[in-house]
Amino acid sequence: MLRQPLSRALALSSPARVAPLAARRYADAVPAQPEKVEVFIDDQPVHVLPGTTVLQAAAQVGVEIPRFCYHERLAVAGNCRMCLVEVEKSPKPVAACAMPVMKGMRVKTNSDLTRKAREGVMEFLLVNHPLDCPICDQGGECDLQDQSMAFGSDRSRFTDIHFSGKRAVEDKDVGPLIKTIMTRCIHCTRCIRFASEVAGVDDFGTTGRGTEMQVGTYVEKMFLSELSGNIIDLCPVGALTSKPYSFAARPWETRRIDSVDVLDPLGSNIVVATRTNEVLRILPRTNEEINEEWLSDKSRFACDGLKRQRLVTPMLKDSRGNLAPVEWEDAVVAAARALRDCPPDKLLAVAGGLADAEALVALKDLLNRLGSEHVCTEHYFPTQGAGTDLRSSYLLNTKIANVEDADFVLLIGTNTRFEAPLLNARIRKAFIHKETDVALVGPKVDLTYEYTHVGDSASIVKDFASGTSSHEVMKRLQQAKRPVVILGADQLKSEEGPALLAYTQELAHKLQENLQDKEWKVLNVLQRTASQVAALDIGYQPGVGQALAAGPKVVYLLGADSGVVTRESLPEDVTIIYQGHHGDVGASIADIVLPGAAYTEKRATYVNAEGRAQQTLVAVSPPGKAREDWKIIRALSEVLGAGLPYDTLDEVRDRLSQVSPALVAYGDVQPNNYFAQARALAQSLQKPVSGKLDVQLKQLEDFFMTDAISRASPTMAKCVQAVLKQKNSPY
Amino acid sequence: MSLVKIFSLSTRARVAGTSNALARFASSNEGREETVYPQAMAGYKYVNADDPNMTFKEMSNRAAQTLFWTELVRGFAVTLAHIFKEPATINYPFEKGPLSPRFRGEHALRRYPSGEERCIACKLCEAICPAQAITIEAEERKDGSRRTTRYDIDMTKCIYCGFCQEACPVDAIVEGPNFEFSTETHEELLYNKEKLLSNGDKWESEIATNIRADHLYR
Amino acid sequence: MSLGKYLALDKLANLFNILKQNGGIRGTLYKLYRQEEAKDGVLVGEDKFGNKYYENPRYFYGRSRWVEYNEKFHLNYDASQVTSEWYGWLHYKTDLPPHQDPSRPKYKWMIDGNENLSGTTGQYTPYSTTRPKVEAWMPKKAE
Repeated sequence: MLRQPLSRALALSSPARVAPLAARRYADAVPAQPEKVEVFIDDQPVHVLPGTTVLQAAAQVGVEIPRFCYHERLAVAGNCRMCLVEVEKSPKPVAACAMPVMKGMRVKTNSDLTRKAREGVMEFLLVNHPLDCPICDQGGECDLQDQSMAFGSDRSRFTDIHFSGKRAVEDKDVGPLIKTIMTRCIHCTRCIRFASEVAGVDDFGTTGRGTEMQVGTYVEKMFLSELSGNIIDLCPVGALTSKPYSFAARPWETRRIDSVDVLDPLGSNIVVATRTNEVLRILPRTNEEINEEWLSDKSRFACDGLKRQRLVTPMLKDSRGNLAPVEWEDAVVAAARALRDCPPDKLLAVAGGLADAEALVALKDLLNRLGSEHVCTEHYFPTQGAGTDLRSSYLLNTKIANVEDADFVLLIGTNTRFEAPLLNARIRKAFIHKETDVALVGPKVDLTYEYTHVGDSASIVKDFASGTSSHEVMKRLQQAKRPVVILGADQLKSEEGPALLAYTQELAHKLQENLQDKEWKVLNVLQRTASQVAALDIGYQPGVGQALAAGPKVVYLLGADSGVVTRESLPEDVTIIYQGHHGDVGASIADIVLPGAAYTEKRATYVNAEGRAQQTLVAVSPPGKAREDWKIIRALSEVLGAGLPYDTLDEVRDRLSQVSPALVAYGDVQPNNYFAQARALAQSLQKPVSGKLDVQLKQLEDFFMTDAISRASPTMAKCVQAVLKQKNSPY
Repeated sequence: MSLVKIFSLSTRARVAGTSNALARFASSNEGREETVYPQAMAGYKYVNADDPNMTFKEMSNRAAQTLFWTELVRGFAVTLAHIFKEPATINYPFEKGPLSPRFRGEHALRRYPSGEERCIACKLCEAICPAQAITIEAEERKDGSRRTTRYDIDMTKCIYCGFCQEACPVDAIVEGPNFEFSTETHEELLYNKEKLLSNGDKWESEIATNIRADHLYR
Repeated sequence: MSLGKYLALDKLANLFNILKQNGGIRGTLYKLYRQEEAKDGVLVGEDKFGNKYYENPRYFYGRSRWVEYNEKFHLNYDASQVTSEWYGWLHYKTDLPPHQDPSRPKYKWMIDGNENLSGTTGQYTPYSTTRPKVEAWMPKKAE
């Protein structure tokens, strides 16, 4: 489905991809290289490591061998037989994807025998594949279509249609996201391998053999995974297609815009497919550092939320207390009047989880010009000790890709499976392929892999930090060459948050000091939202608790929809200005509503949990009268007479780089190394802790609707319903 | 004076004739000035005006024809004769000219005999349309079938090439026989799905007959 | 050639035939006023709107078939008032008039009336057949 078979296969071995991995250079990461063997692909010599398959060796010299079942990130199955090639001195053609190279092997990928073999395989596949391309959603991006054009026969010998007919298979119901048309299945088993290897949900399998073979879930069962959408991309034919996107568009008519996902803190790279100013679907974009080529279901399927519950016009409360649509001029003047008439110390701005860095810096600059310092984020982070001054104390310092190399992962109060599904997929990958072990402090949840559950008491972390724990995990941590500690940012909201952070810093620091590999970072804090890191970088105060207690008169909500700001928590006479893109919690309590743009509608900077700045690009224009967020704030500042000194996006980004150069270093992660300092500053906070760690997202049904966009999405609502229904099913 | 003019006209014609590359080639080759075109060269035919015959009899004949308006009279006679002949034109809209079953006129969306619309929203017509006149939006219908929600043809963009009906795997979009759909405003030619379907319902009798007439050649 | 032809008697016979078929001199003058031409021919059929279809192979191909629109249209006749059943016959695609052609489909969903209504109140005006792309948020009304 991702149309890059050759380039992707090449990228696997090309220097471009190897470079970032090689740059890490750990003490024992590079074992002695075995001697390379020379093989000949179509008489071109190529030197590869022993154990490389013929297919990979061919990819190195730019020869693409057709395949259906082979996938770089999945185990080799070798059952489609499309990759048959002729090897000299071999009596029969061999499957290139499963055949390791041997010294002096001469492979012919374009000989008569090879072509005949491919044509035969193609013919057999098409005997039982329906010719319903016109109604198939895969049409235009179908491997079978492409390869039958390239390698198939130019005529059909199929005459059996009136006798025994084509094979027909009943469709399976695997939930509201994936549509199955099992007659189209060619039994490549990519979905089965993905489910068991990457997603860790062993629901798929085959029954029967020969023509009777069927891929399915054995019993009527939903595919209960947060990564289920990826099997749509993996399916080389139209057997698995996207249900929300079904029949909506053809790949040749969509515009594809590279962007970044904001529905989880990882900032997965995405491609937004649009047509006629409508977001039709979201696909993953390969980024080895973040999401590889996977994407979580929320990021992929919540895009229909961008078309529902939108704020399309500015609104003001009328005399009866109802929000009524008005013109921009009226709304901006009303907002400006409210801001100007408010004493600076009673002014509060709260940024929500989907706010971009440009809007954040513009809002902060505006409030600073009005004399207020009260700019907060919705999510709390301890401000005691080093607080948010040291960037390393609130980032995922190990980096997502490096988690793969860890040999022990300790999760503290976080359910990575739902808070950051692709990070969890990385941990699972390490667990499967590198024998990494995982331990969890917190409530017992299903992480899709085995882990040692240490308990859910916060005092366990204290014992770990002080080294007094006698738990087996403690020993494993100390022996680990590359340990990783991941702390869920949600745990820091409570009273004991500062202490927990201090203990975690202490633990991480102790572990790091003993490491041979000085480059390795141990401490990780997993934020919950896409905006939090950028907001803290810009200098927002984390959490609204104190600010709300001060009783503000004007509250400016920048997409703050998580419900921490409520009418009840504010004085009676407060004026609430809401700027955002969805009519959700924030807009429903607002007096003035300013419609902003969602992440697909603006060119904006987001910083992911690693501290990696990335930008979204404009895929569609904002609906109705909605405008880009920083421009709204800029216009407001003009009416207020406190004009902000930037008029273009480039000037805003200049301002961002003044605040922190890391905010505009797109694609890069700046190294942060102030662990010792942070620990030193936090040492006084190491108070006894006794609470229990709990996570917000425990079950799959909690995962789907977490923010304004996914709450507005009908698909996500259907997912929740389906998961709840599945719970009641006997399977 | 007028005679001189007549004669000078013919000389001009000859001078213009010499601009012919062949003639020029021939004249320069043989070095002569008057009427030296290669009359007998195989494969070539001299097409320019010949020099008028300059004998006195011919000259006076020509002058007489000019003076007595004989050509004018002959012309009027032809006109007069045609008044009594059967007209060669057809009296549209009562009589209409012959059309081929392959004629590509106004578009229509067809239905199956059951009344179910044929179009399955495969978008091949949209893809092939060289004028990009077709816009399709599709979604899953309640019964799970693939159907369009929007099927617009901008008839003013359309170049009536017939690629859409060639591309259609289910014979849904066809260019019907109708060409009498001119409108007073532009917007009336922005056809939507309803309009196209109703065209199909109106013209099915003729469309089906045309398709059958042509079925051996498809 | 017969004597009659030399004396153009056949033309005279045609003239009387035309006069007779079109209802005498008055009728013929009216025909000439309404459709600029009076012809004689065989009535092949009549469509459901009362338009009459004639044929006379004496006229050359292209003029040998014609339609006389229903009287009720008077001068508001239009080429598009020909029904789709008769369209093919009138355009010389087929020699079978529709009532003699059993293979013409007759489905219950087929509709009549392909008249071009441009410029009248019945004209087609384009409209969108899709839902709006973006659903706006409706604030809850305070009681």
